[in-house]
Amino acid sequence: MVMAVKFLAKDNLVPWLAELAETHRTIVPKREGEAVVFRPFAKEEAPELSARPTESPKSAIFPQCDTLMSFRYTKDEEDPGKVLLDLREMKDESPAVVVGCRSCDAAGFNTFDRVYMTDKITDQNYRARRENTLFVTIICEKPATTCFCNWVGGSPTDTSGADVRMTPLEDGWVLESITEKGEPLLSSTLLKDGDDRAGDAEKIRQQAKERMPEAPDLSEAPGKVLALFENNDFWEAESAKCISCGACTYLCPTCYCFNITDESSGMEGVRLRTWDNCMSHQFTMEASGHNPRPTKAHRLKNRVGHKFSYYPNIHDGNISCVGCGRCIKSCPVSVDIRSIVLHAIAAPAETEK
Amino acid sequence: MSANTGSELKIVGFLCNWCSYGGADTAGVGRFQQPTDLRIIRVPCSGRIDPLFVLKSLFNGADGVLVSGCHPRDCHYAEGNFYARRRLEVLKRFLPILGIDERRFEYTWVSASEGQKWKTVVQTFTERIHELGPAPKLDQCLMERAQAMAMAV
Amino acid sequence: MSNLDTLKAKIKERLPDLDMVVGWEQGFDPLRATPLFMRTEEDVDRLIWNPLCVHNLATYLPGLKGRKVGVVVKGCDSRSIIELLQEKLINRDDIVVFSMPCEGVVSVRKIQNRIGSLDYVESVEADTGTVKVTVDGSSQSFGFPDVAASKCGRCQYHTALLSDEFVGEPNNEKAEDDYSDVTSFEARPQEERLAFWMTEMQRCIQCYACRNACPLCVCRDHCVAQSRDPHWMTQENSTQNKWFFQVIHAMHLAGRCTECGECERACPVGIPLLLLKRKLNKEIEELFDYKAGTLIDSTPPLQAFKVEEDNINERGW
Repeated sequence: MVMAVKFLAKDNLVPWLAELAETHRTIVPKREGEAVVFRPFAKEEAPELSARPTESPKSAIFPQCDTLMSFRYTKDEEDPGKVLLDLREMKDESPAVVVGCRSCDAAGFNTFDRVYMTDKITDQNYRARRENTLFVTIICEKPATTCFCNWVGGSPTDTSGADVRMTPLEDGWVLESITEKGEPLLSSTLLKDGDDRAGDAEKIRQQAKERMPEAPDLSEAPGKVLALFENNDFWEAESAKCISCGACTYLCPTCYCFNITDESSGMEGVRLRTWDNCMSHQFTMEASGHNPRPTKAHRLKNRVGHKFSYYPNIHDGNISCVGCGRCIKSCPVSVDIRSIVLHAIAAPAETEK
Repeated sequence: MSANTGSELKIVGFLCNWCSYGGADTAGVGRFQQPTDLRIIRVPCSGRIDPLFVLKSLFNGADGVLVSGCHPRDCHYAEGNFYARRRLEVLKRFLPILGIDERRFEYTWVSASEGQKWKTVVQTFTERIHELGPAPKLDQCLMERAQAMAMAV
Repeated sequence: MSNLDTLKAKIKERLPDLDMVVGWEQGFDPLRATPLFMRTEEDVDRLIWNPLCVHNLATYLPGLKGRKVGVVVKGCDSRSIIELLQEKLINRDDIVVFSMPCEGVVSVRKIQNRIGSLDYVESVEADTGTVKVTVDGSSQSFGFPDVAASKCGRCQYHTALLSDEFVGEPNNEKAEDDYSDVTSFEARPQEERLAFWMTEMQRCIQCYACRNACPLCVCRDHCVAQSRDPHWMTQENSTQNKWFFQVIHAMHLAGRCTECGECERACPVGIPLLLLKRKLNKEIEELFDYKAGTLIDSTPPLQAFKVEEDNINERGW
């Protein structure tokens, strides 16, 4: 699968990014205050490649607020009783590249693809960005205490979702193109031939994989989580400390729910697609006032159920989680989805009523 | 006729229906000359004014906000302006930490018969806002200047 | 028997009459504690009390109204309970408050700034003299005041103002709080202050962790920030919208905020949100000689009035 192998010296990182930025919207992790967030590359600000980003690069393809269309009503001059509608659809097909996300971040879009681009229906706004955005992932040399990519089919060096893979060495990075689309990214004269460094890079990657603690077997998770659907006590206990905010949802690389809102002012307005959050009380609030998920126990059951049971059941066993650990790290009360899933697997089988 | 000609700034006024709106009316009947920057919104009582009305106006581009109600102890609803007095004083003191000039917001008490006083209030406040100039707009230019400032630190 | 053991014994004594008791236990790594909901004696054995117990557990009380709940609190947390009682958002008869004297808690963010990354913490030894963090086999020690939460340096309530079961010797030390963080920020030029908030709020992800972590934000499920009527905020994720939410939040907490700091601690991207509430508290203390959450029988000042105000000039024009 690997085609070209190149070497990028440390000092050439910023010049190489500047070159990419001439032809692509280039998005890199950057320190902003106390966080590391994804922002458009700017020469004056060094990208942050060693710390794990606080947020995922989800916004590159699925913006938190996306203007789908703008609309304007105008009166027909010939016929004052008639109102004309001018509708402009917005679709972003500009070439883009995300440089410096982790393997788990890029793999998150595989979850999106199975839902947004199917044989029955294709989300045009998603497809436009997805097909024109490339991912240069950087491998993780050692796992954080919150990392569990290898529990859910990933790894620190995984290439699923990546177009180019970067492996850090003392004096720079070895870059390998993973897909055909990724190869042109390595054509810069700033990159030297990397075949002689490929061996060092492979050693680093081996080490990274060996440092991953053993993963428990989650194959029973979909069935066991579903079996606890009627067990309110289980979900009340697991959700007791949750405060129903949206930190986990918005930082997650695989959360893909959205809301559509028209915001207008007078005769003109926009139609927006914004991230929605199933941990919020209002997520399933119906117009009648009835809410099928009125408590946080219901909502946490849905979140964990969706990721580890319902989605895998619909999509060939693929878990809708990449094990990045952001939900654990950034949760104000340290809810740990790993322990919830393990508790579900260990829970005694429900007896027939 | 477009009201926003020349150098008019956007000043929003929240006036209580009973005293201050009446006072503004009296000023009109008395044909007192006033600048026309002020756009009045009538509310039943100054106690109806949520401090967020003032903040939303400022955030949305108002250059100044003026609130006026009945004199304390003369509220048409007995107590409304007592609450308003506390809320608006706290609001006025809050503005500096947001980076908003607290002189852009003022609250005052004008009764229905005080037409002359109303004219003076509007005149003085409008002049003050013109001296302060247009308020910084919360737009892309501001974001870029803010980012440049942050980088310089 | 240590104080913690005595506390556990008292909780076990009261447990049969309560639906649950909320405390803390060790979290997913040595640096993080996490709230613990104790229902059985085995649960109580997991209780911890140390400088890592940063969470304000009073946040859970309004959601548990109607049930008999015990809660373990630090001094600052007890102020939130008093404020909730003042506003009748919880019933005194339904809660049992457990406490011990508090010497302060850490700021996980300050530790992160000093050790670089929180990803690889192997062990932590924390007491109110030193905090030692071991990463990759090597340890770094910090003087507690350097990594303590900012609120601890100005704490006037080491001992809970309200408790049913208090274990240990009450600590009546009172630090100075001159609101110098507020005054030094306000000394900066106006344009800089505005620019500061614009750049800080840009990275806000509108998760509402700040709102949901706040013990006094009881209307979180029906928040005006998420309503179409009134339409205070649009769905756009503009910096203006995000900043306006902080203004709404601060104004709705005016005279009610007990400065527990959970809003700032909960923020996943570390925006210094407490500053806005501190400013309001400073002004309210000056105007009305009032500190939220200190006396059960008080009324928050913005829910009351005086015909003749002591400190408000009636602004004759």
